[in-house]
Amino acid sequence: MTTEARQRIQPGWRRDNREVTRGFLLFVMLSGLLASALHAAPVQVAKDKKASVVRVNVTNQGYDFLHPWSKKAPYSRQALGAVLPNGRVLVTGELVANSDYVELEKAESGEKIAAEVEVVDYEANLALLKPADDKFLDGIKPLQLAPAVVGDQASVWQLESTGALLITNALVTTVEVSRYPIDDTALLIYRLTASLQYREGSFTVPVVKDGKLAGLMMRYDTRTQNVDVIPAPVIEHFLKDAAGNKYHGFPRAGILFAAMRDPQLRRYAGLPESESRGVYVTEVVKDGPAGKGGLQVGDVILAIGDKAVDQDGDYEDPQYGKVSIVHMISTRNYQGDVLKLSVFRAGKQIPVAMTLDHRPAEDYVIEPYTIDRAPGYYVLGGLVLEELSRQYLKEWGPDWVKKAPERFVYYDRYQSQLFPDRDGKIVILNQVLPSATTVGYEMLAYLVVSKINGIPIRSIADVAKAVEKPINGFHKVEFSEDPRVLYLDAKQVEDGNDALMRNYGLPAINRL
Amino acid sequence: MRHPLWRILLLFLLVQSPVLAAEGLAIQKSLIRVTTTAQDANYRVPWEPGSIEEGVGAGFVISGSRILTNAHVVSNARFLSVEREDDPKKYIATVEFIAHDCDLAILKVSDPDFFKGTVPLTIGDIPALESGVSVYGYPIGGERLSVTKGVVSRIDFQTYTHSGVDAHLTIQIDAAINPGNSGGPVMQDGNVVGVAFQGYSGDVAQNVGYMIPTPVIKRFLKDIEGGHYGGYMDLSVNWFNLQNPAERRALGLPDDGTGVLVSSVASAGSSAGVLKQGDVLLAIDGHTIFEDAFVELNGSRIQMSEIVERKFKGDEVKLAILRDKQKMDVTVKLAEAWPFSMQANAYDKKPRYVLFGGLLFQPLSRNFLEANQVDDLRVRFFYDFFISDELYREHPDVIVLGAILPDAINTYLMPFRNGIVDEVNGVKMRTLNDLAAAFAKPADYYVIQLIGEGRPIVLERKAVDAARERIETRYNVLKEQNLNDDGS
Repeated sequence: MTTEARQRIQPGWRRDNREVTRGFLLFVMLSGLLASALHAAPVQVAKDKKASVVRVNVTNQGYDFLHPWSKKAPYSRQALGAVLPNGRVLVTGELVANSDYVELEKAESGEKIAAEVEVVDYEANLALLKPADDKFLDGIKPLQLAPAVVGDQASVWQLESTGALLITNALVTTVEVSRYPIDDTALLIYRLTASLQYREGSFTVPVVKDGKLAGLMMRYDTRTQNVDVIPAPVIEHFLKDAAGNKYHGFPRAGILFAAMRDPQLRRYAGLPESESRGVYVTEVVKDGPAGKGGLQVGDVILAIGDKAVDQDGDYEDPQYGKVSIVHMISTRNYQGDVLKLSVFRAGKQIPVAMTLDHRPAEDYVIEPYTIDRAPGYYVLGGLVLEELSRQYLKEWGPDWVKKAPERFVYYDRYQSQLFPDRDGKIVILNQVLPSATTVGYEMLAYLVVSKINGIPIRSIADVAKAVEKPINGFHKVEFSEDPRVLYLDAKQVEDGNDALMRNYGLPAINRL
Repeated sequence: MRHPLWRILLLFLLVQSPVLAAEGLAIQKSLIRVTTTAQDANYRVPWEPGSIEEGVGAGFVISGSRILTNAHVVSNARFLSVEREDDPKKYIATVEFIAHDCDLAILKVSDPDFFKGTVPLTIGDIPALESGVSVYGYPIGGERLSVTKGVVSRIDFQTYTHSGVDAHLTIQIDAAINPGNSGGPVMQDGNVVGVAFQGYSGDVAQNVGYMIPTPVIKRFLKDIEGGHYGGYMDLSVNWFNLQNPAERRALGLPDDGTGVLVSSVASAGSSAGVLKQGDVLLAIDGHTIFEDAFVELNGSRIQMSEIVERKFKGDEVKLAILRDKQKMDVTVKLAEAWPFSMQANAYDKKPRYVLFGGLLFQPLSRNFLEANQVDDLRVRFFYDFFISDELYREHPDVIVLGAILPDAINTYLMPFRNGIVDEVNGVKMRTLNDLAAAFAKPADYYVIQLIGEGRPIVLERKAVDAARERIETRYNVLKEQNLNDDGS
């Protein structure tokens, strides 16, 4: 990437291509082709190493955000987990997202045991599994953590159906900050080149260097043969955080910034010719770490601590060389750490201190992900009301950016500019369940609800409160677009709830 | 892509009548073959005059030595020639009136010999459903006059694809009509009952062709009587059917099946200041409005829009309304709603643009969007919600950085393509003229802030000046800006 205006973003990593790369699903789909293809990469079976991994079988079942009272059909995934010295098994967060049941299985004996997800971070895409009986892992040699750098040889571990290891050699070609499956998250990755063979149960697999864990495979592109790996430093941050009393997550600065290579921009900003550092701050999240510290839009960040920030927003990392400051902020540091920025503003260099903080998904007006949590809803006489979330938009499939209702996609993409105060959520009319109460409203869908009975609506809980105060026996529902307003007979709504639930199989009229 | 003969290409073969019926023989004295040389504006490279294409359509003689045809047959025309069935000579024609909103045009021929021996056709009424009609024209499949027959299948409102935004009364017929039929008369009992103008591709639907019915034709002919085409007017309000009993009671309406709720009133339209959101429309010019927004007109049910459709600029519409449960009468004086033209196909216009430092700024329009195949989310949002969210109030022109002509002074600016201009040097840019004025004002730096996050675009005056000739020579820029769509 050499373009000037690429924005390394925190928070809100955004790109035009927001399709989530689920390389591994693709990998599975192309399995027939792969299995029959011949590969030049050396493949070997090493019996002495088999003991460090276990099979992980997961049954996942997500909520259906278009029918928020329902869950989707369950499905199963198989993966390999890395056994750690602390008696836990490390897998990707994606593997256990919306899991109903997780079990561990010994590779050779096939012995199984239930496990619980002890800690999970969907942004860092990591999870720790705890077996129901700690003794289950006895005798398995755990994997120590070890970082890799560009040029290192590593190997990707898979299991044959016999339980024997299938090892594919891989070369670390790139270390950079890149997008994680939760679209807003960008953290360090290792990119490896390897020609993997298809094997069952490879949703998560470990990447090993010299017998130590270098990372977990996050995605594989069968075309380019690129393996993206959650690297040791990210895993290390996760484990350190998880070892504490409370898991905090990866901190953010709460800014967006743009590269500053353009000499006209540099001169306009007043940077002297001799100054070679600096990125341009384009957005500061209100009450975020940088915002509280006093950073402003238009500031130029010259250094963080004793590290110079170059014109692309990279710094010289002792381990990896030139890498984005996102790595320093989010992975090298922890929640509560204070970073001292050197900022150029109005011709002067000034210090700005920020205390790093993790921003939870719930803090967003439109949540970037909703996993393991049931979506709230309220069925008002047949009007299905929900809070807008990206998970809802993703119900339109991989091409949701183009297919989901345009206004909602726009609100989601530009939420930090459109709703900087973050006072609540956006409640939408998802659809209308036709009934005697909703005659004439059947075609309404995908509208933003602004008020009910005169009360501003900023959450599903607000809906429940507003519904208690009908006006002259009517519920007045207002939208921020046509048809702007509609009325329901409050008594008819109340009396019709049982029939509505029976007719459409709703377990409850609302979930707050 | 241009389909001057027909808006949508049809793929099935013609059914041609081997012998002309009596009606057909007479029509030979009225039918005109129109050959157009058109030049469509280039919205990607707006200083270029555009590519030149030829097409053939039909037309027919009406009273007053005039030729009636479709607007799309003669849009963007640089040269027109017309021929009669029984005269070997080609005559030069010009467009006298053109109505892009209802796809009709009047041509005149300066040579008086042309009309000698022609028989003007008379315009009839709306034909009955299932009654037979004959279609005349010059569709693909041969050079000479073609006749096809069919019946009237449906009478309804349809979008006129020529403008892409206007919907008027339309009659569907099942006679085969194909590219080249456009502008040709559809006849019944010796009278014109429509002008063939659009249809579906054979991939989509079979035997579905559309004609412009006579109320639309007559309205057009009446509109131009003053020597100028005024166009269709609109109430510029959205309404919502009042079919829900609870809603009717909440609004204080009896259960009599009448009335629609005004859900929004466009601030740039005729009804601004007269109607309000929440008003209930009860009657229009004395016709009761039913709860599904239909009225009864001459004994048949029809959308209430038809009442307004037949009116002209400056005409009045009398509305009986219920406001805050009180009955009252209001009058709307009809005027154009300018923001709608942004989403309409534009013809016979020169694209507006400003080129500065190799950055090409263009107002958002349907033509711009189609030429550039933009799928940027923000640009799409500004286009789609321009009317409903009244984005035009702050952005009468949505100024898009449509292209960048690469040069040393803008090499770092490539990712800003398709950005929408918000401010220049701290001043909000409402129109392209504002932008041109901002760039004309001397300053050391021109700081262009686009809408949304992102760093400002900074151009240094002296760098722009030094690059101007270099960029214009390299990219063959014929003109640095065009602020008026007539090219002046």
